[in-house]
Amino acid sequence: MTKEERIKKRYNAEKRFKLYGITSVVLAILFVVFLIYVIFSKGSSAFQKTIINVEINFTLDSLYLDPNPSKDDLENVEYYDLAIESLLKVYQVNGLKEEKALINLFSPDYEYEVRDFLIKNPEFINKKTILKLTASDDMDQLHKGNYPRHLPEDRRRINDFQLMMYDKLVEQNKIDKIFNNYLFQKGDSRNPELAGIGGALVGSFFTIIITLLLSFPIAIFASIYLEEFAPKNRITDFIEININNLAAVPSIVFGLLGLGILLGTFDLPRSTPLVAGITLALMTLPRIIIPCRASLKAVPPSIREGALAIGASKVQSVMHHIVPLAIPGTLSGTIIGLAQALGETAPLILIGMVAFVVDIPSIPTDPSASLPVQVYLWSEQAERGFVEKTSATIMILLSFLITLNFIAVYLRQKFERKW
Amino acid sequence: MISNNVKIKAQDLNVYYGKKQALFNVNLDIHSKEVTALIGPSGCGKSTFIRCINRMNDVIDICKIEGSIKIDDKEIIDNNIDVVRLRESIGMVFQKPNPFPKSIYDNISYGPSIHGLADNKSDMDQIVENSLKKAALWEEVKDRLDEPGTGLSGGQQQRLCIARAISVNPEVILMDEPCSALDPIATAKIEELIDELKKSYTIVIVTHSMSQAVRVSQRTGFFHLGKIIEVDTTEKIFKNPGNQMTQDYITGRFG
Repeated sequence: MTKEERIKKRYNAEKRFKLYGITSVVLAILFVVFLIYVIFSKGSSAFQKTIINVEINFTLDSLYLDPNPSKDDLENVEYYDLAIESLLKVYQVNGLKEEKALINLFSPDYEYEVRDFLIKNPEFINKKTILKLTASDDMDQLHKGNYPRHLPEDRRRINDFQLMMYDKLVEQNKIDKIFNNYLFQKGDSRNPELAGIGGALVGSFFTIIITLLLSFPIAIFASIYLEEFAPKNRITDFIEININNLAAVPSIVFGLLGLGILLGTFDLPRSTPLVAGITLALMTLPRIIIPCRASLKAVPPSIREGALAIGASKVQSVMHHIVPLAIPGTLSGTIIGLAQALGETAPLILIGMVAFVVDIPSIPTDPSASLPVQVYLWSEQAERGFVEKTSATIMILLSFLITLNFIAVYLRQKFERKW
Repeated sequence: MISNNVKIKAQDLNVYYGKKQALFNVNLDIHSKEVTALIGPSGCGKSTFIRCINRMNDVIDICKIEGSIKIDDKEIIDNNIDVVRLRESIGMVFQKPNPFPKSIYDNISYGPSIHGLADNKSDMDQIVENSLKKAALWEEVKDRLDEPGTGLSGGQQQRLCIARAISVNPEVILMDEPCSALDPIATAKIEELIDELKKSYTIVIVTHSMSQAVRVSQRTGFFHLGKIIEVDTTEKIFKNPGNQMTQDYITGRFG
């Protein structure tokens, strides 16, 4: 081979290598774009809900109320008759069967929606108003264009009569789409149109706070001690190996630990953010210790020596000089560890967070759902409405994770100092 | 001008890194208020020796020191002495300038603040100014004390480190090849500074440059393979060494 040939070969190898690199990057971007496209196209409709405009006349008679009712009176009376009466006025129907078909266009909560409106706006007593009542899941999907109305009637849950009513209501502009406040305000429900991630959001929030409060200080002290103070001997080597092993342990094993020890031995309340937070803290500990130790190790020894030589004690040299330089790496490691914990599903399933919890937890020892488990729960539901809810929850979870990662990058850049 | 006042006295000093012995029965006297240069080929134990004087070798787990070093007749190779107090009275300047990643002011004020040498801000300002003046850096940095010390040039950084070392009023300053990372102009400035500093401090300098040893020191010790081969006045070592190995080393025949 001549010199020219060798040079040419070298250049070609370089070009090929660059090409492989660019191909990999493009492929990775395509996968991400595809993932985001699928989730957004399925999930974005969940941020709107279909409503049907119903005229309601809040007469005292229809509510069986005395004149000048108090707030308690308003809360305690029956709204069922008024609600049904008003619903039936939406469309002219004959016979019980048709009445039932009409009522089924609405979510089963119509009675409470009417009640909640009046309690919030008592000035509407003896007045008429138009309420936007939530439509049933099937109506919602039909209006969003996700419903297979071309199928034969016996293979649909909406019958032909209901379809006809729907088309008429659309003609009369009585059906509309508005922002889905239930998605954020409500807990889980068997009815997709009434299900929300409020409980899961609060549950995940409590969980992640407990995880942070437990794992961060323990991890920081453990890493500073191991890196700066502990003698280097077999015991510390053994601890180091085991920390690395723990970081690689499948998360479901931590779930088993939580199940066996926290629920079994210590008898802590099942399905609660408290137990979830402790379990995830155990899982997150090694994942924070490792980047924290790495960033402590990355501080140049000359800084350490400079501090010691001027007469700083060991603790002073660590706290005044080494730890401040290790903050950016430590913080971003912590946030990424927390982001992983936030998206963790398997251990939470084992400690009972898959339970069907309707109420939004108010303290960390209330039974609760969490975002990733909510995704898992809804993904196996049969109703069409849960498909978009699942994707919407993934969107919200992803946006939290992306926000956390951005904070990590920001903190790293903000605290990074040159030396 | 040769003083006869012994400040640091090392006797039968043996140092081991694990199984490897780095110093063999070193006996060396360092005299007060003069510059002692330690020369010798790389790995001969010069740095190990000066790191024994302020116990910086304690940082290395596997390092073991036997023998005796007395400073003003006080034994320092002793587990009961307080190394923090010891290092307060023995400053050290390293091979590579290592200012803290903080402002110039904070670099100097750190030592005095942890040792409680200043009662208030104006005391501290005074200490910072004096230290920088003694290190011949004041004129260059007085208008930018709040800028990072790491933004200075290499020579300035090294003078900053010297100022940091003298800010706590040490008696001894150890210098481990302080000019090896600097250009000749910066080196000349540091050497001038060392000449000035020896009036108030006892200085031990490790150097690879024969000419530097001649220029700055009054006494020179020659190390080879962990042993001290010859110690004498610099004049005698370089003009008329008593040992053939010293002769060979300073004339560049080995090392």
